[in-house]
This record gives sequence, structure tokens and C-alpha cells, in this order.
Amino acid sequence: MINITPLIPELFLLVMAIVVLMLDLFSSRRTVVVPAYVSMAAVIITGFLVFKFGGDAVRWGSNAIFVADSFSQFFKVIILGAAFLAIGSSFGTADRMTHHRGEFFALLLFSTVGMMFLVSAKELILLYVGLELTTIPLFVLVAYQKTNRASSEAGLKYLIIGAASSAILLYGLSLLYGYTGTTYLNEIAQKTAVYFLSHGFIPNAEGTTDLVGMGPAFSVALMMIIAGLTFKLAIVPFHMWAPDVYEGAPTPITAFLSVGSKAAGLAAIIRIFDGMLYAFSHDTMPNDSWGTMMAVLAAVTMVAGNIIAIRQTNIKRMLAYSSIAQAGYILIGVIAASKLGVASCGFYMFAYMFANMGAFAIVGLYAEKTGKKNISDFAGLSKTSPIIAALMTMFMLSLAGIPPLAGFMAKYYIFAAAIEAGYTWLVILALLMSVVSLYYYANVVRIMYMVDSDNKHHIIPSFPAGLVLALTGIGVLLFGILPQSILDMAYKTASSFIF
Amino acid sequence: MPADYSAVLVFIIAGTGIVVFTFLLSWFVQPRNPYKVKTETYECGEPIFEQSWTQFNNRFYIFGLIFVIFDVEAVFLFPWAVAFKSLGLFALVEMVIFITILLVGLVYAWKKGALKWV
Amino acid sequence: MTYSYPILTYTIFLPLIGAVLLLFIDKEKHNAIRWTSAFFSFITLIMTLVILKDFDWTTAQMQFMETHSWIPAIGSNYILGVDGISVPMLVLTSLISLIAIVISFNITKRVKEYFVFFLLLECGMIGVFAALDFFLFYVFWEIMLVPMYFLIGIWGGPQREYAAIKFFLYTLFGSIFMLVAILILYFTSEPHTLSMMELIQIGPSFSHNIQIMAFAFFFIAFAIKVPVWPFHTWLPDAHVQAPTAISIILAAVLLKMGTYGMLRISWPMLPEGIQYFSVPIAILGVIAIIYGALVSLAQKDLKKLVAYSSVSHMGYCMLALAAYTSVTAMAGCMFQMISHGLITGALFLLVGVLYDRAHTREIAAFGGIGKKLPVYTALMVMFGMASLGLPGMSGFISEFMVFVGSFDHFWAEYWYIVALAILGVVLTAAYILRMIQNVFLGEFDEERWGHLTDINIRETLCVAPLAVLTIIFGIYPDPVIKLMEASLNNLVTLMAR
Repeated sequence: MINITPLIPELFLLVMAIVVLMLDLFSSRRTVVVPAYVSMAAVIITGFLVFKFGGDAVRWGSNAIFVADSFSQFFKVIILGAAFLAIGSSFGTADRMTHHRGEFFALLLFSTVGMMFLVSAKELILLYVGLELTTIPLFVLVAYQKTNRASSEAGLKYLIIGAASSAILLYGLSLLYGYTGTTYLNEIAQKTAVYFLSHGFIPNAEGTTDLVGMGPAFSVALMMIIAGLTFKLAIVPFHMWAPDVYEGAPTPITAFLSVGSKAAGLAAIIRIFDGMLYAFSHDTMPNDSWGTMMAVLAAVTMVAGNIIAIRQTNIKRMLAYSSIAQAGYILIGVIAASKLGVASCGFYMFAYMFANMGAFAIVGLYAEKTGKKNISDFAGLSKTSPIIAALMTMFMLSLAGIPPLAGFMAKYYIFAAAIEAGYTWLVILALLMSVVSLYYYANVVRIMYMVDSDNKHHIIPSFPAGLVLALTGIGVLLFGILPQSILDMAYKTASSFIF
Repeated sequence: MPADYSAVLVFIIAGTGIVVFTFLLSWFVQPRNPYKVKTETYECGEPIFEQSWTQFNNRFYIFGLIFVIFDVEAVFLFPWAVAFKSLGLFALVEMVIFITILLVGLVYAWKKGALKWV
Repeated sequence: MTYSYPILTYTIFLPLIGAVLLLFIDKEKHNAIRWTSAFFSFITLIMTLVILKDFDWTTAQMQFMETHSWIPAIGSNYILGVDGISVPMLVLTSLISLIAIVISFNITKRVKEYFVFFLLLECGMIGVFAALDFFLFYVFWEIMLVPMYFLIGIWGGPQREYAAIKFFLYTLFGSIFMLVAILILYFTSEPHTLSMMELIQIGPSFSHNIQIMAFAFFFIAFAIKVPVWPFHTWLPDAHVQAPTAISIILAAVLLKMGTYGMLRISWPMLPEGIQYFSVPIAILGVIAIIYGALVSLAQKDLKKLVAYSSVSHMGYCMLALAAYTSVTAMAGCMFQMISHGLITGALFLLVGVLYDRAHTREIAAFGGIGKKLPVYTALMVMFGMASLGLPGMSGFISEFMVFVGSFDHFWAEYWYIVALAILGVVLTAAYILRMIQNVFLGEFDEERWGHLTDINIRETLCVAPLAVLTIIFGIYPDPVIKLMEASLNNLVTLMAR
């Protein structure tokens, strides 16, 4: 049965993206304001539509292709939030562009639509198409400042790595299809579990059974899917593109990449592993357990991301490594493979959105005003722009996980899920790494507050940038102190899974 | 299921083997007698007058892209037209949306001057 | 005693309101900022005194309880309450905060930020002593670190940035173990709970391994704060680099949080843990006493001397805490916390007074200044004597109780550990007397120190309450002991489970 209503938010945003494109084409005044505000309004309306038209599903027989369940709704809110904040903080960037200003916002919206499809997909092909729709506009956006060599390099790098990782993912998915003969996540879940139960054990001489697992092709499929998707999340060792791309891309796009596309990729990982391959999450199936594989990846990611971040002098690169490390923390929630685990991933992403978008907004604002991008250039900011410095401090401390900010609540929730699932060693490692991370986050604070400079730049944000900073600042504080409503919503998202 | 994949393995080995075998075979049996004319680039019997690596105007690429889009449109349109009667109204609506999206693209390309040969 | 209004909430958040108000004052109006923060701190002191007045010391029950649902999703509630262990700490905290605020009236650099951070710090400190929910406790515990980081890092001495980040990282490193322990206890308890009172009830039912592991994790967190040797290396840096007022707060309040956490959480909640670790903790305590004293003896810097003497003095607390069967030892630990807070707070204050005038803290640079600064010298000598445990001062009472209590507990075996600790008293006398001799007696360098002025009225007013309390508690300690007795009796019963 085809029911078009759950698709309304996506279709609306798609139409609005085209409208923004046309608006720019036919408006005589070459101003950035109109398409930007129209895009922001479109994102807000889409946010309302997401709640209005939730809960239904497009189904073929008993299998859903596209579901607008509470899980996808929650992630769509994060994605739309990231898009809204990215558009809000890109007025300055777009203003300095000489060409293709309208397309900037249209492409951002197209990518958002792709992410929304990605988080709703319950079928492998739609999932893949959603992923491509997400990344292809981002290739263009990353390389948007085409006269800037770093930006072009970033775009090319992202294109090549993105294409390679998509290919790997596609190979993994096709192996899975070869195993089961279906592309619906539900059916794959059933068939792999049933197959394992009927073929996974062989009787041995002692009269009990041995585990034989699913065979090498299944392991290869798991590995390829993990590799393909963790490329998108910039998990070590698939992270090497991230610092260069984050550094070269226009700052609002970097922020959008680090939050929006991370949220969408995370949702896909949760759908595939916690949803479809839940039966293979733990050590009960030693040969085919993805939990162990991912736990190792998460551990390596947290260690490498945090330690490399210490040495960075460019603030965007520092934030890039920090976001690599943050992805490692989030992966812990996936590994927990429980209701609490899924809920904690959602909440973490939500809290991370505010802190990271806010931090990048300030970095962008500062670079626009001064043209400087090194951490040491922030010296004396607490005197010239005390409010901006205070906000930056809040974002940094939230990313480091200091209470009472949202980032702490998120970390606490993730660690609670992991302890419940029995990954105590991973939690201790993660906490140790968060102490390491404090060193470089506090370094930014130190430079703003404790290092004297003759810096005279008084940063006055434009209205949209001020709005972004206000929203993110309030979010970081409010959801740290009173997170109950969001935690409830996040916990409800887990009802979409079978745990 | 893993056993079913043995056929694929055999296929891969056999496929690779045949290619390798034919190349090796021709390598061993072919006579090798190169001389100047033989090693020149083949250009319809004419003597060559420039390198084959030349620069094309990049307008060609844009035209090529637009052509591909409408080429694909035709690929969709033909089967749809053939099976039109059995598909009914829903398919008509879908095809209108499809063509509209392509039209928007055309308008965009036109307006941006992609159709002009400068 | 219950009020119609939530007095503990008001007490905790009054400084926060003050901090928010300060944000709206013009940053050039230094005096307005100073007096506003002093006012809010003073009201907070009054509130804690009201709590003290109405506190029922005959029972070990939690009083002034407030319970509200906060974050049900993680099982956390907003639970506040005080008993005989926390009330003295509350009063000490608010008193020391007020004194520290008044003593920092001479701060001229970025005045507004200084007092905003200070009031935030006070909010966190009072919160730690009143929170009875693990999550809330952890939040307050960590909230303090941020203003502390700024206060040391902006207004501290030459190596302030290094000291600030070292303090921040060290304490955070400790608290992550507390966080893991909290989560383990949360998921072990059935039904899951974060309430300290409930966990104390069901704690002994946890398996031996869980108790030992959680105890060890809590111990690392609290031991870093105390600090117990070998976790003490942040302390000399932080104490020496911090501005005077912050050194006072660090010594008088922050160090007490470690021992308070042990008394409040790990000791009663995980009795098998303390039973298992009692002797090692006593040994650590004795090492701290001797080591701290020996290192103090070798110090050339006056402030460093006082800082290391803290390590030594907190060692007595650890020794007392190891003697978990003795109420006298527990009372001795509490009394030592209070008296160390008063004495070392005053010593840091006095060192700061001298530094403001002389711009050096090198012991060898001074000599014979007793003649030039008679009032200052009298105060310094008095607190020095209190620190080395002269009878008639609070330091004597607490050390005496610690020794009696821990001998009582360790008499059958390991009595020599306690005997070794008595050596510490001699060493303390040695470094204090050496310091007094070198700074205040001997040749006076008129040319160099002729310009020094005696302690002024504001500074005297700050020291006066500390001096008065040190002497009162030294002569008549009964009220303080009565105040905590019921709670400590209950504590010892809980640990004997």
C-alpha cells in the first residue's frame, strides 16, 4: 500500500528547495537575505510537519520501506535543527560569495532532504539513495569557495573518499542481500536470525553443540557495512578525510557536516545494527558479533581523536578531531544495543548539535571579522567580546562534558547505557579520554580568558548569527539542567526497535 | 547459504583463468616484428598531424550533461508510453512530476546561460 | 525542624542569584560589586546559622529534607538534607566564603568577573554539602571546578595557568571514577536508585566484589580531593599559585570535600570496603602525616610550607577515618576538618597579608619582623601554635581525639602505625617553630623591610572570627562534638554492618 502522507515533510522541503533555487534565479536583486530566510522558514515548517505527519508508514505488504516512527522523527528534529542553525550562521559566508548564492541554500536543503530519507529508510536501496542524496550536495558545498585552494582540495577529497566509502557500503549491503534474498531490514533480520538458529550450531562429540557462525561472507558483509558507514561518521581508522574537509569547507558547512550528516549516518547505523542485526550484537555469537568490532573502533576513535586534537593549532582542525572523538563516544551507545543505548545516542546527538553548531558559529563569525583561524588568535576575546567568550566557554565545557551543561547529561546517559550493557572497560576508557579532551577544550578557554593580547576586534554578530548563538547557548544550558522532556522523547525512539 | 557461494568462487576463478590464459597464449604464439609505421597511432590511413591528447572546450561537458539527462528521460518515457494503458492515472501523475522536475532543471540551465555557446 | 520554605535551596542558590545580579552592575563600579557580593555571602552565612540554630542535634535523621522529582529518566531526584556531619561543614563554608570575599577586596584586576566566579564557587560548595542524590552531588562537585579554574588561572601567581589546568584535570580525573562507581551502584541496586540514603540502606547487601570495586573508585575520587599521598601533587601548585582568598577556600573547604565524601558516601554505604581497606588507608594517612611534615620542613616558600602542612594535617583525618569502629576517631576526623579549616585558612590569609606588603614569600628573606609588625606576628604565632597542636587551641583537641580513637581501633594489631603518626606532631612543631624563628625573630633588615606596615583593620576583622573560634573550640569543644555525636554514632553503626 502506498500512503503518501508520511512523506509530506520531505516532499515539502524538496519543493521548497526548488523554490529557493528559482527564487534566486528570478529575483533581480542579488541579495542573500531572501533565499536564506525562505530556507529558514521552510526548515521550521518542515519541523512542524514532521510531528504532524508522523507515525504512519509506507508499506509493501508487511514490510515498510519508509517509516516515520518516533526514532526518525527525533533524528529529523536534530537534522532540521542543524540545518536551521547552519543556514542562520551562513549569512556572512554567503554574503561574501560572488556566485551561486541561491544554490548554496538550495543544496543545503537538498542534502537535508537526503538525510531525512536516510533516517526513515527501512530498506537497503532507499537507505543507499538517501545516503547519496545527502552526500552529493555536500560535495559541492564543501568545495563552494572555489577560488580558495583549501576548499577545492577539501571538496575533491570528500568526493573521492565519499565515493569509495559508498562503494564499500554498497558491496556490503549486496552481500547481505545475497545471503537473504531481500532488501527489507525486517526480513533480513528475521532470515539471518532464523538461519543462524538452524545452521549456526553443529553437534560435537560431547553431545553438545558448537557455534559455527554465519560463515565468512557474513563477516565480510558486516565489516564492509561498518567500514562504509563509519566513513561517514569519521570513525578512526576511516577518519583521515575529516580534518582536511572540515578545515577547507566553509565554516557553516563544516558545522552542518559534523552534526547533520553525523546524525543521519548514526541513524542508519542504529537502524542496521541495533535494528536489523540486533541478534548479532553480543558475544553470544562470537564469530559474527559486530559489538566487539565496534567497541574496538570506538575505543581507538576516542583515544586517537582526543590525543591528536591536543596538538592542533587551527581551531577548525581542533574541532574536527574533537568531533571525531565525539563520534567515538556516540558509538558506545550503539554498541550497548539496548533501549537505553538508542535513547542515549539520540540525546547525545541532540546535545552535541547545540554545542558544536554554536562553537562553529563563533569560529565562523570570528574568521569573518578578523580572517584568523588559529586558536591563539582568540587571545583577549573575553575582554573585547565578553558574551561571545562566555558562550564559547559554555560550548567548550559542554563538549568536554562538564555539568550542568547538556554535554554532561549526554555523556552520563551514554555511559549509563554502556554500564548497563556491561561495557565497563569502555566507559572507563571513555571517561579517561574525556579528561584528556578537557585539556584542549580548556585550552581555548585559557587563551580567551588568561592570555593578554592587543586584540581590538569587537565581535558584533548579525541578527541571524545572534539568533543562532542565543538558541545554542540556551539549548546547552537548558537541556543540561532540565533534560527530562528530551530524555523522554529520546527514550520513546527506542520503541521502534525490538530489544 | 555459504555453500551456494562456491559457484561464485568457481565462476571468479574460471573467468580470471580464461582471460589470463588467452593473453598468455597469444603472448607465446604471436610473431613480434615491430617497425616504425606499425607502432604509429592509427588514424584512418592518414599520416598523423598532431597528438591525440587535445583540449576540448569544456562547454561540451555541460552540453553532454544536459544531453544525458534528457536521454535518460527518453529511456523512462518509452516503456511508460508502451505500458500506459495498464499503468493508469497514477503513473501519469508520476510522469508529469518527473518531467516537471526535469523542466525545472532545464529552466535553471537555460537561465544560468548553460545553453549559450560563448 | 521544617520550614514553610525550602531553606537549603535558598542557601545554595542565594550566591548564584548574587552572581547573576553582579552581571548587571557596571564593571567599573568596583565598590558596588565588592559590597554586593559580600552582602550575598553574608546573607548565606546568616541562613546557615539559622539552620544551625534550628538543627536538632539529638537525632541522626536527615533534616530540612527537600525532595523533588528532577530527571526521572535517569532516576535522579533533587534531594537535599543535612545531618550532624554536613551542618558544621555548611557553616564553615559560608563563614570562610564571607571572609575570603572580604579579604579579596584588594583585588583590582577584572573585579566583576572575580566576584561572579567566586559566588558561583560558593553555590557549588554549599550544594556539595547539602546534596543527598548522587547525580546532584556529582553536578555540584563538578560545577565548582569551573570557577576554581578561572579563579586560579586569571588571578593567580606567575605559574597560574599551569596550576589551574593541573587542578582541573586532576580533580576531573578523580571524579570520573566516582561517576563509574555511581553508575555501578545505580545498576546494581534493585530498584535502581541514585538516592544516597536508600543506597546506604541497601549498600551492605551488594556482593563483596562490587563493594570493594565501588569503594576503591570512590576512594580515588575523594583521595585526590583530600589529598591523600600519593595523589597530592596538584595541591602545592594550586595552593601556591592561587590568590590568597582562593588558597583559603581550597584549604578550608575544598580539601574537606574529600573527607566529607568518605564520611557521607563510601564509608557508610560500602562497609565491606572500609573493613577491607582499613589498614592500607591508615598507612596512607601516616605516610601523608610524616611526608607532609618532612616536605614542609624543607620549604623555602612560606605559602608552600602552609600548603604541605595541609597534606600532613589531612593525614590525621585519614588515620581517623581508617579507625572505623571508633566514634571518637570519627569525631576527631570531623573536628580536625573544622579546626584545620579555621587554622590553615587563617595561615593562608596571613601569608597573603605579608605577601601583599613584601611581594615575596621567601622565608630566608625575612627576619626579625616581629618588632615591626607586632599584631601580625601575634596572630601568626597564635595560628602557628594552633597548627602544631598546642593545648588550648582546637588543633590539640582534634589531634588528641584522632590518636585516642585510632589507638582504640588499632590497639590489638597495627598499633605501631598510630605510634608512628605521633612522630608527625614533633615534625610539625619543628617546621612551625623554624618558620616562626626565621621570619619573626632574629636580625631585622631595616633597609629592606622598613616600609612594611602592620595588618590593617579589614584584614584583622577577617582573621578575628577564625582566631576566636580556634580558641573557643580549643577550650570548650563540647557544643561541636554534641552537634555531630548522634550522626557519628549512627555512622559507626552503619559501618559495623
